[in-house]
Amino acid sequence: MLKVDRLTVHRGGRAVLQDISLTLQPGRTLAVLGESGAGKSTLVAAVLGLLRPERGSVTWNGAPIARGGSALVMQEPRAAFNPRLSLRRSVLEPLRAKGLPDDPKRIARLCDGLELDPACLDRRPYQVSVGQAQRLGVLRALLAAPPLILFDEPLSALDAMTQKHTARLISALQREEGFAALIVTHDLGYAAAHADTVAVLRAGVIEEAAEATAFFGAPQSAYGQRLVGAAVSLGALERRAAA
Amino acid sequence: MKQITELLLRAAVVLSGTAIVTFTLLWHAPGDPALTIAVARYDSVVSADIVDQIRAEAGLDAGFWTAFTHWVAPLLSGDLGNSSVSGRPIWPELRTAILLTLPLAFIGLGIGLAVSIPLAALAVRHPGGWVDRGAVALASLGAAMPAYWLALLLILCFAVKLLWLPATGAGTARHLILPSLTLGLGVAASLTRILRSALLEARGAPFLPALARRGVGPRERALSHVAPHAAIPVLTVLGLELAFLLEGAVMIEVIFARPGLGGFLIHAIQARDFPKVQAVVMLTALVFVAVNLATDLLYRLVDPRIGARDA
Amino acid sequence: MGGLSVTLHIKGLSAMRPGRTILHPTDLSLPAGGRIGLVGPSGSGKSTLCHALIDRLRTEGIAVAHVPQSPEEALDPLRRLDFHWRQAERALGLAPDLARQGAILRALGLEGRPLNVRPWGWSRGMQQRFVIALALLARPSLLILDEPTSALDPVIAAATLELVEAHAAETGTTLLIVTHDLGLAAARAHRLLVLHDGRIVEDAATGDLLDRPESAPAQALVAHRNWAELPC
Repeated sequence: MLKVDRLTVHRGGRAVLQDISLTLQPGRTLAVLGESGAGKSTLVAAVLGLLRPERGSVTWNGAPIARGGSALVMQEPRAAFNPRLSLRRSVLEPLRAKGLPDDPKRIARLCDGLELDPACLDRRPYQVSVGQAQRLGVLRALLAAPPLILFDEPLSALDAMTQKHTARLISALQREEGFAALIVTHDLGYAAAHADTVAVLRAGVIEEAAEATAFFGAPQSAYGQRLVGAAVSLGALERRAAA
Repeated sequence: MKQITELLLRAAVVLSGTAIVTFTLLWHAPGDPALTIAVARYDSVVSADIVDQIRAEAGLDAGFWTAFTHWVAPLLSGDLGNSSVSGRPIWPELRTAILLTLPLAFIGLGIGLAVSIPLAALAVRHPGGWVDRGAVALASLGAAMPAYWLALLLILCFAVKLLWLPATGAGTARHLILPSLTLGLGVAASLTRILRSALLEARGAPFLPALARRGVGPRERALSHVAPHAAIPVLTVLGLELAFLLEGAVMIEVIFARPGLGGFLIHAIQARDFPKVQAVVMLTALVFVAVNLATDLLYRLVDPRIGARDA
Repeated sequence: MGGLSVTLHIKGLSAMRPGRTILHPTDLSLPAGGRIGLVGPSGSGKSTLCHALIDRLRTEGIAVAHVPQSPEEALDPLRRLDFHWRQAERALGLAPDLARQGAILRALGLEGRPLNVRPWGWSRGMQQRFVIALALLARPSLLILDEPTSALDPVIAAATLELVEAHAAETGTTLLIVTHDLGLAAARAHRLLVLHDGRIVEDAATGDLLDRPESAPAQALVAHRNWAELPC
């Protein structure tokens, strides 16, 4: 279980995250919602262990998260790969890092689950579509089977139809593999469709944390209400006509 | 304000570092400087007494730090000291040399700008077209050609074959033509390439199509938007270019046997006149630092984002 | 002034690139004061259609303005906002008029903000509103909003769209919302145009298109329209 306990991170003498506490069970999805500048990316960096918090801790089953204990899927799919290497080499990197052997059967199975043509692996990042590149990013994150995967705005570079398709593939794999997913996004529609729990982050503070159905049914905080209202007004969420 | 203090502080560190390194290098140079001075001054076999006397007089016998202080203290008040060979103050002689070199450097820069700006502007009109390819080829050729080789080529052509211009020496404006051309073409070569790529990049700025749709004409887009954006990378290089201009001028003066900083430096080295060499090194460092400081400040003027980001 | 109070009819709009047609001949009719959504996946020819439309309307002497998806695509970061404003006035042949400027900025909730700063002195949401204000300066009959939400946070994007729509309704300006997101277009537009491979494959009232999409591309868009429906 992921446990973020009273995490406070300062940058340039200012608190960008303040007293953040979150938990996430294996096989479940937590969506952290908020606008740009709310501290979402800092939270991702802190959970990955890339920065030293001022106070508080991030643990998995009570112990600090070891290298290889988590993986990240980034926002810009193609920029996430070294343009000079074949995608296969980039995708295999987590296995190499752990000293594990190449696992063609698992790769084939994951490619199948992500609807990826295995021939994609022999191309370079700029020879595949953005949608394919993002699914390859998911493949890389999943390959060494880390218990926790972080998704930083994983769909924002994709178009509306590809977004929904990709999200569905990720959820199906999550049911098979059982990893915990922490998704950072400003897309409430995505969170409503795929998250079990949500946390609303604003200016470094958690305004509201709840089960997804409860939050989208009736957000409690004023800011949560504004977010849901905006998502409805932009067509990302639709109120079901009263029966 | 805080940033400017920081910039000045950085300049001071560079200058003192240069002073220490230069002095250390010359102090440890092979040979006995006192003996060299004695030979240079009296031009014959000298007695050990005279050498010792010179050693004491130049502060060379009291150890490194004493000698260093001996040199640096007056330097701080702007006194470059005296020549160890002639015993006369260095500054008047150095000033004459600088005044001979400056016209060459500035005319060289002028030629460089006058050639590269129109050339680059023409080249980017049709990227990949024949004008563009010609300009790139010329610039690469110019950059690949060492200054001394170009100098000899120009001398051979205009002085030896055509007899239009004097090959060496100084005195008249005609003497200035070939050296400043050599210098200017070198500058033009590197500036053309940088200007071209800066202009190409600025022309691809994301907001330009929107300006066109808003009805802003091509002339205004070029002058009010593309030019300032292209100026940012060019400014950095122009600063370095100005400093290297000094270096290029020194070499070209030697080739064309022109009096100036080049001759001053060569004579000082040959005579092992350390104070003079040090004076030239410190002057060069000062020019570099001043030019970089000026570029940094100018930068902030053109692109205020730079200052804003540091704050 | 502002919009012509009649429908804009555009006939035979098309675009070619050497060797291929990227926009097949298209007829459009855009009712004055309407809100129309142009929907299609990336690469379907949305920007091509917009550019062709702008060129056509310009040659016919009809004022049209275009708001790109992010402020970086509309404002020079080295130039101050008042410079941009004055430049746009000059391009339209208008004399400086502070009253007009105040009225437009007020309509977008920007009143009282100093303009003597460079764009990045404002938040992105405010910059985007300034870009829209610049577009309104031309009193366009048609205002094209290109992916109006993708570069902004949802709360800000929604507020901005509402302001623009209110202003458009007041002045009779036609709005064309260009997006890959049918959910967004359906939430904001009365009529939808579906673009696929350089052809308008469907043109219908929003409700009709959502209920009975006829073409395969429209059916695919409708099937992927929503993430989720909220209980309420």
